[in-house]
Amino acid sequence: MENPIIIPSILVSATASKLRSLFFVTALLLSGGSAFSADRVYQKPSDFIRGSLGKIPATKAITLNATQQKTVRAILGKRYKTTSIRYWSVGKKTALILEEVGKAEYITTGYVVSEGKISTVKVLVYRETHGWEVARPAFTKQLEGTQLKGGNQLSRPVKNIAGATLSVRALTKLARLALYLDSIK
Amino acid sequence: MTEPTPKIRRRNARNWHRWLGLVAAIPLLWLSISGLLLNHTAFLGLNEAEVSTGWILKKYNQVPEGDPRGIQVGDRKVSQWGKLLFLDHEDLQLNGNLVGGVAVKNRLVIATDERVAIVNGSGEMELDLDELSLPPLPVEGVGVEGQQLVLRSAGGTYRFSDDFLSFKEAEISLSTTSLSLLEDRARDELESAIRTRNAMPLSRVILDAHSGKIFGFPGTLLTDLAAISVIVLTILGLRLFPKRKL
Repeated sequence: MENPIIIPSILVSATASKLRSLFFVTALLLSGGSAFSADRVYQKPSDFIRGSLGKIPATKAITLNATQQKTVRAILGKRYKTTSIRYWSVGKKTALILEEVGKAEYITTGYVVSEGKISTVKVLVYRETHGWEVARPAFTKQLEGTQLKGGNQLSRPVKNIAGATLSVRALTKLARLALYLDSIK
Repeated sequence: MTEPTPKIRRRNARNWHRWLGLVAAIPLLWLSISGLLLNHTAFLGLNEAEVSTGWILKKYNQVPEGDPRGIQVGDRKVSQWGKLLFLDHEDLQLNGNLVGGVAVKNRLVIATDERVAIVNGSGEMELDLDELSLPPLPVEGVGVEGQQLVLRSAGGTYRFSDDFLSFKEAEISLSTTSLSLLEDRARDELESAIRTRNAMPLSRVILDAHSGKIFGFPGTLLTDLAAISVIVLTILGLRLFPKRKL
């Protein structure tokens, strides 16, 4: 004897054409919107500086000489987008807003360096389509407390995030750059 | 209403399986092949291979829509096409809508409504000023007064220091130059430069074609339908698997 299969009454009574319609409407509802994501703005740079330093002090800039540009190229693997880099200082704290390309777009990140160590890292604007997980505090906290050791490397390794490798590399390079810039300002 | 007999149910399932399989065959083949390629991008060198086909670059906004507009500043041409900004034929990594450009003390100052770039004689960007170093946005006009940069913004008119890092409000009547449409020849040269320089990695194009995103909403919809088809085909296949009773 065949075991009866329990089918909802709505499906039993539906005709084949109704079932097909149901299938396509469900597919339409489940399908996501299109495509390339817009910028993710987590915090305005001015809010980051104000929040980190308590106020927005006068803007200063480090103008990189040839030797310094060579070191920056060694850290980033290419030249930085500008030859002068702005920073803001209050007491022993120095804040920098740095930008680096992850895969195709710039990631704007705020760093605060205090006594040769990174005290705060925050992704401010993320423009890539993949890899936004680097903006999570669980990742950025890894960079906090790091300092430069020989060869302008970080004092401890940074764990990768699967699918966000290039963004992880970009933020790690910028952390090294922030520490280097703090040392030459 | 009478319940369909097992024979009818089986026939319906078989029909659905057959037609759904036919419709989904090509998308599923593409998903499988592109998925295999994506799993071996490094081995196949797909990160290094580049795509510079015009219609694909347009999908990535590499060749923008609309008409490019620009302004001549000395012997340099600053232009905007879509969201992209260019200094002559080079990308200018600057956000916002182009407002204008002026020459100040051997430097070129390019202003958008949200950023100001200071470019030296070699074409290198010296400074990229954002809301932290600018008067209240948006920037509305840019000019020069007594060899100093002057910006007109939402908050008034401001004169900048020689190092461009600070500014003071000033009562200056600022005359600005408006942007003009690029001529056909200049437009063609710009498009050619964009295509040559902004080629996309093949791996990225395959990834976006795999997910359907490269074709916008219809592409995503098609990919989703193909995925749902696999689920339905699996369920139907399992229902058809038991041998028919004679």
